[in-house]
Amino acid sequence: MKQVTMEPSETAATAVSGAPAVRTDDVWKVFEHDGIVVEAVRGVSLAIEPRDFVVLAGPSGSGKTTLLNMIGGLTRATRGQIWIDGRDITDLPERELARWRLERVGFVFQAYNLLPVLTALENAEFTMLLRGIPEDERRKRVESLFAEIGIAGLEDRRPSKLSGGQQQRVAVARAVVGRPALVLADEPTANLDSQTSSELIDLMARLNQEHGTTFVFATHDTELMRRAQRFIRLVDGQVVEDERRR
Amino acid sequence: MNRPAAPWLRLGWRNLGRNSRRTVLTAGGLALGYCSVVVMTGLGRGMVAEMIGNGTGVLSGQLQVHSRDYLPERSVHETIGGRDGADVEGLVEAVAADPAVIAAAPRVYGGGLVSGGDQTVAAGLIGIDPKREANVSLIMRTGEAGRHPSGEANELWIGQEMARQLSVEPGDELVVVAPAADGSLGNDLFTVVGVFRSGLAEIDGTIAFLPYQSLQRLIALSSDRVHEIAARIEDAWEAPAAQSRLVASLSVSFGGAKVEDWTAFQPEMVQYARLFESFEWVLLVIVFVLAVFGVANTMLMATFERRREFAVLRALGATPGVVLKSVLWESVVLGAASLALGAAVTLPLLVWWHEAPPDVSWLYGDFTMAGGLVRPVLRVEYPFGMMVFAAFALFVTAIGAALLPAVRAGRVRPADALQD
Repeated sequence: MKQVTMEPSETAATAVSGAPAVRTDDVWKVFEHDGIVVEAVRGVSLAIEPRDFVVLAGPSGSGKTTLLNMIGGLTRATRGQIWIDGRDITDLPERELARWRLERVGFVFQAYNLLPVLTALENAEFTMLLRGIPEDERRKRVESLFAEIGIAGLEDRRPSKLSGGQQQRVAVARAVVGRPALVLADEPTANLDSQTSSELIDLMARLNQEHGTTFVFATHDTELMRRAQRFIRLVDGQVVEDERRR
Repeated sequence: MNRPAAPWLRLGWRNLGRNSRRTVLTAGGLALGYCSVVVMTGLGRGMVAEMIGNGTGVLSGQLQVHSRDYLPERSVHETIGGRDGADVEGLVEAVAADPAVIAAAPRVYGGGLVSGGDQTVAAGLIGIDPKREANVSLIMRTGEAGRHPSGEANELWIGQEMARQLSVEPGDELVVVAPAADGSLGNDLFTVVGVFRSGLAEIDGTIAFLPYQSLQRLIALSSDRVHEIAARIEDAWEAPAAQSRLVASLSVSFGGAKVEDWTAFQPEMVQYARLFESFEWVLLVIVFVLAVFGVANTMLMATFERRREFAVLRALGATPGVVLKSVLWESVVLGAASLALGAAVTLPLLVWWHEAPPDVSWLYGDFTMAGGLVRPVLRVEYPFGMMVFAAFALFVTAIGAALLPAVRAGRVRPADALQD
């Protein structure tokens, strides 16, 4: 396997020294619709260390995705504070939050969410395009990463010409190619068969170990739960179990 | 692999290709708007050119030289030439020497009664030099019967309507009575040698042409005096510049002469041209305002269907401005495709209708406009300025129509849209 060349300014090592990768302090998320109030996340406080491989588990409606979205800055907490890499993102203006997401966070979604009009390579390089990284550099990094994660040769294929497992690998490549400090993955294996799912987990575990990228998953996948270094269970928006495996 | 320089253009192009039928319909609508504005403008300008060409070319000419006080009364005494006046032949040559002037010819004007048998009509008498006049006035090409008058003989060339009213034909004789410059009443016998039909009722029924020497004799003007020198210029819009040049050059040797171009002595045509010009802008606004709604509707549908993708872009770190920009780039590509389609349809149509204009005289006959005869042919002039401006308007329409959808796309809340 080829090793991806990492630039110092873009590695997970740029996290604020000693600060948790993620820290939440009494975070609440309350939805109100037509007078009905739903407390999706209720006072969650936790700290996730750099290089962690963490699973958020729990039944549907337990608040896993909502918590993940708040950590990723996709939605704002109703109350409480969130720090990523030591930076308080709770009240960051929209533009700054977007910029911070671009540089520090990678996302992997259940439905892959690749842009259908772009090729695999173009999808993977998209965040680097937004960051203004030159085309030659983008292509070099993506092709190297594709070789590393076993999808070399698929660069020019559109998502519709890729299998589910291949699409999710491209999505993982898109999430990690910019060297974010944190990758947030919402049910990344839910649409995959067990073998493909297992291979994808292997891939992410390897990226976690070799590149030091912090992974946080929201999942129902027992295999992924089993492989997690840290297991956090949510029920009704609250942390009811927090176990570090090793 | 095809890697265009601008990734956003590439993204926009591919997004347009996702629903090709909708894109073709939208681009087709914009292209049709472009085509209709350009072709209608070209047709309007063709009609105005026809009107001006005929209105000035049939009889008046695009330039006229008179004695300073001849107009507007048209007194028979206000002539060019004469004992103390300019040399008429020299003046004709000086006018004809202007680079824009194709030909110039002297004219004498009179008015009187023309009688044949029991019938009498009032007539404007125009004394011409038939050979030189043939290069100045298009009316000389409208002979229906007989021939032009020739030499200095008492020969008349009358309009078809006048011939009908007098019940005469070539070879018949008419008596012409006209007030003369010396206060007498000139009268003489003339032979009708030809009949013309200009298509303009006021000319065909009231004008009689005769050699200017015979008219000079009839109204007692000396042979070195004329009322007008008319000149023909191929492009009527060059006449004002030619007029300026001639004013400057003639002032030295022919100080008593006054040079005017058709915009001065036929101002109603200028007003018609301006009216058509304003109509072009009204048309442009109407067409593209209507197009805005069509494009906006399409873009709204297209962006609504892609809310999830915009949410992904936002999640990946795109700011609302970047998402907005991506939609606007798409509209730029749509505009470019529409313009290409519009140009592909419009340009051949323009060339065809310019080179071989369809004749629709079967639908309705000739008509007059501002005193000019207009043939019912769909001849277009190339509206180069409007082609550029309509292209600009097309882009403004495409981008303007995409603004609201683009703003809405930029405002997509990623967490909400990703869960839809």
